[in-house]
Amino acid sequence: MLLGVSAALLAGGCGPNVHSGSIRGTGYVRIDEVVKHHPLYPQLSQVDDAIAAINLQSAAHNVPLGARQIAAQTTELNRELRAAQIRANKILAAKERDYAERESRAVRAALSAAGIRGNGALAAQQMSAQSARQAQDAERSANADYMAYQQNVIAQDNAASTSIAKGLQAQAEAKYRAKAEQLQQNETDLSLRLTQQDSAARLAIKMRLSNLAMEPGARKQAEAQLAAINQKEAAAVAAQRNADAATLRAYHAQLDSQTSAAIRSQVGAIQAQTQAKLAEHRNEVTSQLRSLAPAPAPTNLPPAVARQIAQIHKQFVGQFQAEANKTIAEYNATKTDLDRQFAALHGADVGATGAAGKELDSLQKRRVDLYQQIVAQVQKDATRLAKDQGFSIVFINVRAATGGYDMTNQVIKDVESQHE
Amino acid sequence: MKFRSAALAGAAVLLTIATAPGAIAADLTDVGYIDQADLANLPVFVSANRQLASYKSQLDGQYNAQLRKARTDAERQQVALQFQQRLNDRQREVVGPLFQRAQLAIAAVAATRNLSVVVDKRIVIYGGQDITKDVETIFASPQAIQPPAATPPPSEIGFVDQSILDGIPKVQTANSAMNQFETTQRQIYSAKIAAAKNDNDKKQILADFNKSVADKQDQLLKPLVDQTRAATSDIARKKNLMLVLDKADVVYGGTDITPDVQGVLNK
Repeated sequence: MLLGVSAALLAGGCGPNVHSGSIRGTGYVRIDEVVKHHPLYPQLSQVDDAIAAINLQSAAHNVPLGARQIAAQTTELNRELRAAQIRANKILAAKERDYAERESRAVRAALSAAGIRGNGALAAQQMSAQSARQAQDAERSANADYMAYQQNVIAQDNAASTSIAKGLQAQAEAKYRAKAEQLQQNETDLSLRLTQQDSAARLAIKMRLSNLAMEPGARKQAEAQLAAINQKEAAAVAAQRNADAATLRAYHAQLDSQTSAAIRSQVGAIQAQTQAKLAEHRNEVTSQLRSLAPAPAPTNLPPAVARQIAQIHKQFVGQFQAEANKTIAEYNATKTDLDRQFAALHGADVGATGAAGKELDSLQKRRVDLYQQIVAQVQKDATRLAKDQGFSIVFINVRAATGGYDMTNQVIKDVESQHE
Repeated sequence: MKFRSAALAGAAVLLTIATAPGAIAADLTDVGYIDQADLANLPVFVSANRQLASYKSQLDGQYNAQLRKARTDAERQQVALQFQQRLNDRQREVVGPLFQRAQLAIAAVAATRNLSVVVDKRIVIYGGQDITKDVETIFASPQAIQPPAATPPPSEIGFVDQSILDGIPKVQTANSAMNQFETTQRQIYSAKIAAAKNDNDKKQILADFNKSVADKQDQLLKPLVDQTRAATSDIARKKNLMLVLDKADVVYGGTDITPDVQGVLNK
């Protein structure tokens, strides 16, 4: 019987002796290894592959566009930017109206509850409405001013960038044309040189061929000699042409690369300057708005009611600001993407842009969500095992372990068994 | 009777074997953790970070202006270094005192609770002592925080600073060669993927790219990774450390074995 107990203890002893000298209640999990065994891992891999594919595609060499293409695409991007600004303004204006009405209703209710009617109520409502109107007017005016300024600065930026790109591309095209003409001239010279070089031999053969009494065999031979001379010349010119074509291709690539780098550098400097101007102006606008004080409260209200109305105003302004910030954040996200597209248009190396950029953002978000979901479940399983087995502490991200207990395989089994 | 005694003795032996490493030892209880993300959300830190971001935004304008004036790569590098230095100085000025106060608060709580090491919350998935709230309370108190009288007790938790190991010449050379290889491969495969006709081709190209990078990693980096791992384990064993973590995850205390690992890798 005792042997049976011992055997049972041995069998049950598959788990570690958590409180032994080498483990001392300490466990660790190699989380990356467990993640690989999670049923959602294939999905995570797919997302990783999709992200890697987009990144790889966006690393492709940017061929500079022609000035006309840049101008057309710039117009389109500007149109999108204006549309985004108008949309954001409309949403903000609608929210302002909504909050003003709600605040007005709340003030009316507060006054009514306090038993204030007639002139006092009117004055308080006027105060609230005036304060809200002032703030809204100031904000609207500041936003309009900022957006006009932004449009203006971006338009200047685009004009300067387009002009620079146009100039640099024209220079590159002129260099390319000059090189192509020079190589063409070399081919013509070679052809002429070969013709002159073989002219005596060619003339001699032609003279022989002009003899009508020539033997057919000898005629055939002379014709073959003439054909061989022609073929030799054609082959030499063709070889030169192929070599020149390769030289031209390499030169084109070199010019592309130099032009892209020059455009990138100059446009980057312009854009940095633009961003600095916009940031400076935005800071000015924000500080102006912050300095706006609320309208003075009418003196005929009891202090408690005045405080309550001020509180209502504060609450609605706070709520409006929070919602407005969301709209502004959405606008800024659109603007950031458009900025990237502007930069990419001018040859800057900005990674994925436009639709690819949006897809990349969405994939990255999905990846974070998926990974967090997997890790949360792994941690939950590891925590349960740790608790069941009496561990005192369990780590992840361990670089080396000479003690403690590696729970990785247990957690893997647990994760797998729950999804079989 | 004899048989019974023998059986009992045998069972006792088996029980001893079953609990073999079984000299019961005290669990590792002197490990604390702190939620650094929570600490960073304290209003003073948020405000300091905002100040820093605003300063950086101002600096960016000046930086770009000076960069435009620079004519050579050396001049551009000089400008970049100069502005980085200004940003670092400002960071030290604005956030430095806060970090210092946070460190003192952590040290004070660690001393009170007899902790030999405090790590980031992210790496503890079960157990340990959460000292976040205690640290935040001391940090937020108006009084000056006195440094603890003694240094933290020796810890069985070691750590290695990867940023220092990355500075070892042979590691630097390998990393630089790897980066260069990856950049070149990226250019080659990006052209291929741009010309791919369908999704299957793209998948194949991506797989080829990943394989070429992984093979090169095996060739250039794996030997160093293996050597670092072996050296870390060896030193940990010699110093009677139970676990070794990354320095980035250790907030206070612990046993730094970076110089020892560095010494082995430099040989």
